[in-house]
Formats: sequence, structure tokens, C-alpha cells
Amino acid sequence: MAGIFLAAVLLIAAAAGWSARADALPEGDAHCLSCHQMAGLQMGLANGETLSLHISGDTFAKSVHSPFGCTGCHSDIEPDKHPGDVSVIAGRRTFSIERAKVCAGCHTDQAAQWNHGVHAALVRAGNPVAPLCTSCHSPHAVMKGAAEAMDTVPCKACHGAIFTAYAASVHGVLRSSGVAQAPLCFGCHGAHDVKVPTAGAGMKDVCFGCHVDALAKHQQWLPNAQLHFTVVSCPACHAPKAHRKVDLVLFNSTTRQNAARPVGVPEFQGPPGSTGAGQTGLDPATLFNLLRTLNRPGAANKTSIKGRLDVRTGEEAHELTPASEAISDCNTCHKAGADAFQSVTISVAGPGGIPLHYGVSKEVLNSAFSINSIGGFYAIGGTRITFLDVLLILALLGGFGLPALHLTAKWLSRRSASHTHRNERKG
Amino acid sequence: MRRIYLHPLPVRIWHWINATGFVLLVLTGIQIRYVGLVDFVPFRTAVVLHAWVGFVIIANFFIWLVFYMFTDKARLYHPELNPVELFRGCLRQTVYYAYGMFKGLPNPFHLSRFRKFNPLQSLTYQIVMLFLVPLQCVTGILLWDITRFSKVVDFLGGVRVVDTVHVLIFIIIVFYIPFHAYLATLGRTPLEHYKAMFTGYEEVDDEEGEEAG
Repeated sequence: MAGIFLAAVLLIAAAAGWSARADALPEGDAHCLSCHQMAGLQMGLANGETLSLHISGDTFAKSVHSPFGCTGCHSDIEPDKHPGDVSVIAGRRTFSIERAKVCAGCHTDQAAQWNHGVHAALVRAGNPVAPLCTSCHSPHAVMKGAAEAMDTVPCKACHGAIFTAYAASVHGVLRSSGVAQAPLCFGCHGAHDVKVPTAGAGMKDVCFGCHVDALAKHQQWLPNAQLHFTVVSCPACHAPKAHRKVDLVLFNSTTRQNAARPVGVPEFQGPPGSTGAGQTGLDPATLFNLLRTLNRPGAANKTSIKGRLDVRTGEEAHELTPASEAISDCNTCHKAGADAFQSVTISVAGPGGIPLHYGVSKEVLNSAFSINSIGGFYAIGGTRITFLDVLLILALLGGFGLPALHLTAKWLSRRSASHTHRNERKG
Repeated sequence: MRRIYLHPLPVRIWHWINATGFVLLVLTGIQIRYVGLVDFVPFRTAVVLHAWVGFVIIANFFIWLVFYMFTDKARLYHPELNPVELFRGCLRQTVYYAYGMFKGLPNPFHLSRFRKFNPLQSLTYQIVMLFLVPLQCVTGILLWDITRFSKVVDFLGGVRVVDTVHVLIFIIIVFYIPFHAYLATLGRTPLEHYKAMFTGYEEVDDEEGEEAG
């Protein structure tokens, strides 16, 4: 209902050719702005922070919120008692969380979506910088379409490096050149119900949203295409300059979900990234014992490890190139010592499904311990078990060497053997 | 000396398809597993060829199975159930290969129509044909389309477990093939058994022929 009302007001405003100047605002709003337009107006908060109270009248007049006036959101302010009767505000973060409830009063759908997104999960987990409504939408300057334009999309305020990578990618270049179908941030991640595309099959499903024939196209040349789509993230091939890594995912086989951080397991008690990667990090025996511990008799859930080839950073995940430049040489990943297998992490599900990565020694990929512990991940050639290589060499030596030895012995003993034959014939 | 018809046509066809197929599977398998170190053919070609040859070998296995199930030749694969007899026969044959042959002593085993394999051969072929090859075929099919068979693969412990079994059998086959090819040269002449596997006829001593009768 609130949405319908909102739309109606905006339509009326648009039809009336809404004023874009502060001096054309209604008297009540002008009264508020008479103070709040003062540059540098601010108030001290209980925690020692300051809150800017300055509003640009001209900007507010252009914003989509101006038809509702100041009291549309600040109904708690009683003009007769203001500014004297202002309640104490604990801090800026607290204030933003409180004001988000006001936004939800009209934007019910978006608020509900936000509640199911990763940003809300981070807020609930106590992350002090997880975005609230006002983090992305400056409430007094909300412009129609601003969140959908390259230069004003709010995501880049926090994800600046990722946005830079995106802007130079095939998606960003197309979007900049006016191709509306090319995705901007929200096209893949959602606008309010922001999801973590790196969790599970999320990335693949997001890409398939537009690239509906991707599987059919890959099946024309890629053996086991379906499997590749499950265990290789799209950027691992479509961001060819990115560094790749193996992300082992702790998986709850009972709930079929990525497992949460195991309780009471020392290796996961530190912050993500506290264990190194490369040569350090969880070694094969530790990982083997970890799985045994998690799957001890009587454990409520069965835990396994699935694996996934991915790029190492979020920035690299956005460095997507045209398909013609994507990696299509199988050797890139299937040869021993490939770049992809030099970095290994293990991830557990954090708030909102965000993967929390811990470093793992790359030796787990080639260890005999891993036959059991990471049975769910194997890349032909690239992660082969060293012990089996040794067995193969022994088999080759035995298969050719023993006959060669036997043949030699036979040749050396030929006189003795023919002598016996002759004696037998004589006998 | 007399000739006995020991290798019927279906067996010979099966044998040479198997031999060619396993050599191709080993070569493509090495190419797949050691890409970068070995580069006979492109990785993708090796994968596709490995899968196709694998299916030929699976079909060929059923030719073998049906032939032996529905003919009296099945007796060739009847296991020796007496462990003492089995051990004694294997030991006798091993001693011959390791010592007696060099001294010119006679082969303790004599060919006949229903005794084509010496005890060592018989034991080896039973293990290979009734255990290793079927297991290799099953793991090969699972690895051919892991997504389709994901539930079975997961039940067995995951792709790495299945692959390890497949590779272990591959290693045994790598050992077995040159050994098998060499042992086939230990007839009266080096090519005697090879020729027999084309013509179907083996030459046996007269007294052996009597046994064959």
C-alpha cells in the first residue's frame, strides 16, 4: 500500500514538473532549511562523534523525497519544541540503524529484500561498517536512476577496487558505452537482497541469468562441461589474467549447505586468513584429522570437503574479458604445478553465507591423506597424488625391468639349458 | 607334434581388441595424467579418445563374458578352490620360470583343450578379468560423467577416491602389459604363442596331444 502511495506521489510530482530549487519548496520545508542549510551545522553525539545536520536545499529539492517534505521522514520532530527538545543520539551508527526503520515504513519491499541479503546479515553479526539504507542512499539527495548509473552507483563507495576492475571489464566497458543489457553491480548481486555469488553455485547461476546458452556452448568443446561448471567458477577462465586458487569448502552433507565455522576446532578460531596459504596453513595430516574429528561417531552432521577452482580476489573476479580471450587451453589447469594449485584455502560459511577463508598448505592437493579428506575435489593431472606417481614408476620399472632381467638370465644360461636338453634327448 | 585348436575366433577378436584398447587406454591415460610432461596428443583429444576406447573395451568385455558364459570354454576360468593345490601349482610354475627354464628343465604345465592356462596364468586372468577389468570399467564410467553419477561417486567417498581406484588399476595394468607380452614369448619359439593368437592353433607334444584328446 505504501508503495502504491509512493508511486502515485512521484507520478503526480513528475507530471507537475517538480521544482528543482530550494526556494520553491513548501513553507514548512523552507522553515526547516532556514537552519539546516547552514554550512557546518552539526550536533555532538553521546559517543563523542558528530552528526552533520547540514542539508543542501537545492539538492533536496531535486531529490525524489522532496514531495514528502521534511516531516515525511522526520515525523518525530515537533516544530514547536525543535531544536530544544532533541533526544540524545548514542552514535552515528545507532542513528543510521534507527533511521533505517523509517525508510522501511515506505520502502517495505526493499526493506524485506535487504533483510534477506548479505548486508543485513553483516549488520546482525555486528559488523560496524555493513551498509544500512543511508550508507548507499543519501536520504536528502536520492535522485531517480542514480543507483543505476556507472558514475553514481553507490556500491563503489565501499567496493572501490572491485568497481575499478569491473569498469575495465567487458561488462563495464559495454555498460559505459550505453549497452543497457550489460550488468552493473546490482545486475549480478541484486540491489537490496545482495547475495554472495561466490557461495556454492551462486556465481554460475548469476552468469546463467543472462548467458542462458552458456552450457550448450561449452558442451560443444569442453568435455564434462557440467562438471566444470560445478567446480570451476566462471571468472577462473573468463578473467584470464587473474591468479587462480583452490577453495576447499567445508560442506555439511546432512543439510547440503556449506558448513559454518566448526566450534572448538583450533584451526578455525582465529580470524579468516589467520592461517597462511602456499606452503603453510593446514597441512594434509591436520586436515585429515579435522575431518575425522568432525565425523566422529555420534556427530550430528556428516561433514565433507568439496572443492572449487576460483580466482583469488574479488577484484580479479570482476576482470572479465570477452569470451574470445577466455582460457580454453586445458593444460592451464590440468598440468602439474599449474598456477591454480599454488594457493589453497578452506572456507566455511560466515554471516549471510559469506565464505570465510583459511589458508591450507598446497601439499594437501597431492597428499595420500587427501584421498579421504578431500575426496570431493580432484583435477585430473593437476592435483595428482605423488604416492601414485611413485607406484607408477615402480610399475614401469617392474613391468619392463623384470622381463629384461629374465631375458638376460635366459640368454646367460642358454648353454646350460641346451646341455640339459641334449642330455634329455640322449636319455 | 600336433596342433590343437585352442583359441576360437571370438576369443582372438576379443583378445586383440583388448590388447589394442588397453595399450591406447594406457597411452591416453598417461597423456591425461601427465599433461605437460608428456605431449603425444592434445589433452582434450586424449580425454575424448580415452572415453571412446573405454566404451569399446566395456563392450568387448561383454563379448568375452557372453562367450565364456554360453560355451563350455568357461571351464578355462574355473577357479582352483583347493588353496593347497593352487599354491602348489603356482609355486611349481614360478620355480620353472625363475630356475627350471634356465636349466632347460621341462615346463611343468602341459596345454590341452580345457587346460589352456598354467596355474599362474589362471590365477592372474581370473583376478584381471573378473575383478580388475570390471572395476576399471565401473570407475571409468563414473569418471566419464561425474555429474550424472554424482550420487554414486559421493557414496563411494568422492571423485578422488574413485579416481585413485581407477589409477591404481591403471598402474597394475601398466605393470601387467609388458609382463604379459614377455611371458607370451616363452614358448618353444618366441613367436609361437603370438602366431597361435592369430591362427587359433597351438602346437603341442604328442603326449600332450593325447591329454588334449
